[in-house]
Amino acid sequence: MSKNTFRGGVHPYEGKELAKDAPLTPYLPQGDLVFLLSQHIGKPAQAVVKKGDEVLAGQVIGQADGFVSANIISSVSGKVKDVRKCKTAMGTSAMGIIIENDGQYTLAEGVGVETDPASLTNQEIIDRVREAGIVGMGGAGFPTHVKLMPKDPDAIEYIIANGAECEPYITCDDQLMRTASSEIVKGVEILLRLFPKAQGLVLIEENKPEAIAAMKAACQGTKVTVRVVETKYPQGGERSIISVVTGRHLKLGLLPADLGCIVDNVTTVRSIYRAVAFHEPLMERNFTVSGPGVAKPCNLTVRIGTVMEELVEAAGGFKEGTDPKKLISGGPMMGFPLANLQVPVCKNNNALTILVDDPVEDAQKEMTACLRCGRCNHVCPEGLTPQQMAVAAERKNYDRYENKLYGLECIACGSCTFICPAKRPLMQLFKQTKAEIMAAKRRG
Amino acid sequence: MSKLYNVSSSPHVRSKLNTENVMFCVVIALLPTALIGCYTHGMSAVVTILAAVAAAVLTEFIFDKIAHKPNTIRDFSAVVTGLLLALCMPAGTSPVLPVLGSVFAILVVKNLFGGLGKNFMNPALAGRCFLLISFGTAMTSYQLDAVSSATPLADLASGVEVDLASIILGTSNGVIGSSALGLLIGGLFLWCIGGITIEIPLASILSFTVFMALFGGQGFDPVFLLIHVCTGGILMGSFFMATDPVTSPVTSTGQIVFGIAVGVLSGLFRVKGSAADSVSYAIIISNMLVPFIDAYIVPKPYGHRPPKEKSSGSKVPKSALILCGITLIAGLALSGIFAMTEETIEEQKAMAAAESYKEVLADAESFQTNDAMDSAIAALEGGTYGTDFGKVTINEAFEGVDGSGNVVGYAISVTSGDGFDGNITMAVGITADGTVTGISFTELNETAGMGMRVDEDAFKGQFVGRNVSAFVLNKAGGSTSDEEIDSVSGASISSSAVVNAVNAALDFFASNAN
Repeated sequence: MSKNTFRGGVHPYEGKELAKDAPLTPYLPQGDLVFLLSQHIGKPAQAVVKKGDEVLAGQVIGQADGFVSANIISSVSGKVKDVRKCKTAMGTSAMGIIIENDGQYTLAEGVGVETDPASLTNQEIIDRVREAGIVGMGGAGFPTHVKLMPKDPDAIEYIIANGAECEPYITCDDQLMRTASSEIVKGVEILLRLFPKAQGLVLIEENKPEAIAAMKAACQGTKVTVRVVETKYPQGGERSIISVVTGRHLKLGLLPADLGCIVDNVTTVRSIYRAVAFHEPLMERNFTVSGPGVAKPCNLTVRIGTVMEELVEAAGGFKEGTDPKKLISGGPMMGFPLANLQVPVCKNNNALTILVDDPVEDAQKEMTACLRCGRCNHVCPEGLTPQQMAVAAERKNYDRYENKLYGLECIACGSCTFICPAKRPLMQLFKQTKAEIMAAKRRG
Repeated sequence: MSKLYNVSSSPHVRSKLNTENVMFCVVIALLPTALIGCYTHGMSAVVTILAAVAAAVLTEFIFDKIAHKPNTIRDFSAVVTGLLLALCMPAGTSPVLPVLGSVFAILVVKNLFGGLGKNFMNPALAGRCFLLISFGTAMTSYQLDAVSSATPLADLASGVEVDLASIILGTSNGVIGSSALGLLIGGLFLWCIGGITIEIPLASILSFTVFMALFGGQGFDPVFLLIHVCTGGILMGSFFMATDPVTSPVTSTGQIVFGIAVGVLSGLFRVKGSAADSVSYAIIISNMLVPFIDAYIVPKPYGHRPPKEKSSGSKVPKSALILCGITLIAGLALSGIFAMTEETIEEQKAMAAAESYKEVLADAESFQTNDAMDSAIAALEGGTYGTDFGKVTINEAFEGVDGSGNVVGYAISVTSGDGFDGNITMAVGITADGTVTGISFTELNETAGMGMRVDEDAFKGQFVGRNVSAFVLNKAGGSTSDEEIDSVSGASISSSAVVNAVNAALDFFASNAN
């Protein structure tokens, strides 16, 4: 495969220059921390602490409930203030553990003890990943240990570290690749040990030359190679990445492993390395606070559970003279808008984007009838026909939507909605239609 | 409670593209053509364009007001419709025509069907077709420098030398927007900025070229094909009308199928049709196929497509094959019907001929053969008569005799192959001293309302009673001398064919009458 990109996609304003060169700075939480029990895809973890308990940094406070689930780890030492329903970034409520930080960051026993990964068996490696509560940190939050146990390990051809940070404004993976490049490469090497027939790749978009240089340098003398790909949204999507690397495309019912791929975000890969080599559970992550509405766009290393409001303050607050209308957990293409900032950072949250204007509000005013221009069809990275899907969805012709148009393959990347000159809220319609179809299926 | 911020479904950023600038780009793309048109045709073109655009915008504005809809004139779509319509009209018509066309396009075709994005056929083209049907003559009298003349396509049909350079530059006669160069520049510009996809123009022009090469009668003659592609609205239709997103398919494959339909139908109508326009009707008919195409041609998402090695875009050739099949079947059916009815047609022709002789030479009681003329006709062996009359053949000639056996004149049947649409056969009556007593058509397939009007007395009556050696066609009208014949306005080809045929008859008479 020689082509360096997937089919379709869009080029939104990148905005990366705002925080691109701001180095990762550790941020220590000031107030209480909130650990949601569901920071991953799968069953929520079970709380194993109760109000009044003393906890240490690195201690398991929520136990994984079943195979597709993940441990929740306290990132600070202190006292459990409460276990109750908390607001999530999605606007829903979920059980969370609230911990009062004692500011000591006393580590739990065994955490941070260096081990040579070569001395561990494959099963021990996977166990460490599971105990560390590692999930996909690029956004999906899929428990990583599940990915590491495919049905047929010999069929895995590629281990891909995803450094194609394609969401506008977000730069924390870029910074991580610049500063922790050797840890990322070591993380890939650990995964290669599990899948000896695979080849290791680090995929980076060409708009991150410093990260490319750093990763290439770190790959010297290893079996891991850097693959530079075109800058285009949604290059960082799992399906786009697999499409570029293998030339084959995922569909519903297939897992990346079925096409011989395991794709993990570079941050996840680095966490795997820390968990395996240092017995360090997932307590902190890299995080970008950026956007036109923030005073000092920055990249931070934050403790999981930190309340977002603190991070805006860490970034110097709102930009003077602006009255931001929209705060987004994640990037502007797929992130979740926050009604307020009283929500915690979860394992899979990589950014807080602060927009001064609300383009969605403006788009609603500008909306016209569909021109049938077909731009949405051309940008869809899945090869769908959003224009026809919208017609079918509006007419509630779910049979055509699902069976003829394959509407359920939509990955909700938002490219169609972004490009639409008539400013139609296509993705909203698709999400809603998908929900309705899935609900109908559950009813039988 | 602290301040609440906006929440909405992602994506939270949108491209700068909006309906307004999509439409505005089309206007920009049409500017080169419009400017060349105004340069070639002068003020009359400017008036037509302004009238059409103003009427379109005003109609949209008034409709929105009456229907209590949000004002949509700022999205530029009405401007595009008006401009496209004007560019498809001849210069120098009454400004009422572009106004009527625009009102029809915007009111009936677009807004009554629900406005932008809801109309099922191209408003500008529907407006043009409305005008073509209602004002056939005015819509097809092409004037250049205030002189009516034939369009290049008409010249090509009548065998007149065509200046390819002037067609490409757009300084030849035709509609305002006939500059091939301007259209190409605009079309390619629109493609480069992503305003249109290349599938439709490419498929349409290619399939039209192939059709013309196969059925146009001149094979793969590059000049002939180039002239056909550059004239008669193929470029305008392919780049600007067929690509109207509202009335064309949304998928690439669908667009290719649609483009082929447009190209093949344009070719079919141009070769076999009798209407004054082929492309407009071809596109409008193809527009009606669009819902069908969109319903059935849906690409499979990437993950569902067979791996690359196996697929080689199997869908495209299949659709193309189906369409080629349809074209072939239609062609075979046409020729089959023609062959079956040919014999009857011949019999009727003979009867019609006999009647026509009486009509043109009323003084004769009976007709008899003339040996000199018969042998002259036999010597021609059915070939072209003379060199100055175009594709003219002499069919029959008789002497007309009165009750007392005196020769009162001659009736000569002539056929001209230079008609706009097939042969024109007529009987010409000539007295013994060479005065034309009348002409009567036995075969005439010209365009209704235009070429057909040669059969009106206003035209054919001009020949009667004149005694000249040859007639001359005056395309501008207002003839004074006996030799001059005023052309039927907008039908110079048909008129010219008739004049040539009459001249051939006169020449034949002069050479062979004893």
